[in-house]
Amino acid sequence: MSERNTERRERPYTESSVIMSTVRVVAPFVFTYGLFVMFHGADSSGGGFQGGAIIAAMVLMLAFAFGIEPTRRWFKNTAIVLLATGGVLAFLFIGIGPLVLGGTFLEYEVYGFKKATKYGIEGVELGIGAVVASVISGLFFAIARGFEFTEGQL
Amino acid sequence: MITLLEAALLAFVLVSAAATIVLRDVLAAIVAFGAYSLGLAMLWLTLQAPDVALTEAAIGAGVTTVLFILTLTKTVRPPTEESVFTPINWSAAGVAVLFAGALLWTVPAIPAIGDPTAPAWTNPEVTQFYLESAYKETGVENVVTAVLAAYRGFDTFGEAVVVFAAGVAVLVVIREEQFT
Repeated sequence: MSERNTERRERPYTESSVIMSTVRVVAPFVFTYGLFVMFHGADSSGGGFQGGAIIAAMVLMLAFAFGIEPTRRWFKNTAIVLLATGGVLAFLFIGIGPLVLGGTFLEYEVYGFKKATKYGIEGVELGIGAVVASVISGLFFAIARGFEFTEGQL
Repeated sequence: MITLLEAALLAFVLVSAAATIVLRDVLAAIVAFGAYSLGLAMLWLTLQAPDVALTEAAIGAGVTTVLFILTLTKTVRPPTEESVFTPINWSAAGVAVLFAGALLWTVPAIPAIGDPTAPAWTNPEVTQFYLESAYKETGVENVVTAVLAAYRGFDTFGEAVVVFAAGVAVLVVIREEQFT
């Protein structure tokens, strides 16, 4: 039992063609489903938080199938940071827009085009999804890379 | 009254919660915890809360389990030859049972699901207002989304910022400047 444990610790990633080909087929569908949950949150259950979590789960799935290291190298830090800040800023600007046009914060109707509230909500959900998906995958990669504390460092 | 499916799910959730507590092997406890979250997600579905169920399944059963396992690979896993179960601290268990009993004591005061005399339904200024005007005013069919993104949009913006801040906070704690 303990022998197997040490072996597993030394080789945390095992290449498996079954898992790899399964994930290769399933991942696009999971990604689409995540986007669907994000967009369709206005008319059925779901929304930005749930859709973002599903997309982050797809990133984690890719990392488990193809190894955390290659996946981590493939996801640029810039992309994750841009998605996280971009999501918050998108929400903020959609909210501030009506203020500029003479309404109150997040008063979507002031935008004036047809179904402005609905499209405003969709935009906000997309922003939330970007924040949630990027922060969860970012946390995953940050923990996976590992970190060390040096004595006396503050 | 409670259906057979609900009773089975409730039993599954309780058993997996107990397994999370008593299993000695940390990996086994994490797997039991994931099963607990999945059972809870299905229970949310039977309570007609699909939004909460989706979140519970994706975050509770999926992401949290993965993060726990990832942390486990970074730590030393103690050998588990001696016994399958962890020794139980009986005085702590007694306190936990007392606390759970105190919480369960309040359950009969909760109105039954769908009870028309429940405060949520006898309060037309709030509940009925959202149900009647959510579609007219926002054009979205899911009242939960209408409340989250339109009526209480400012709170939801705060939530998005909290998630963003969590990412920043972790980078600050591990003293790194990059996620990947």
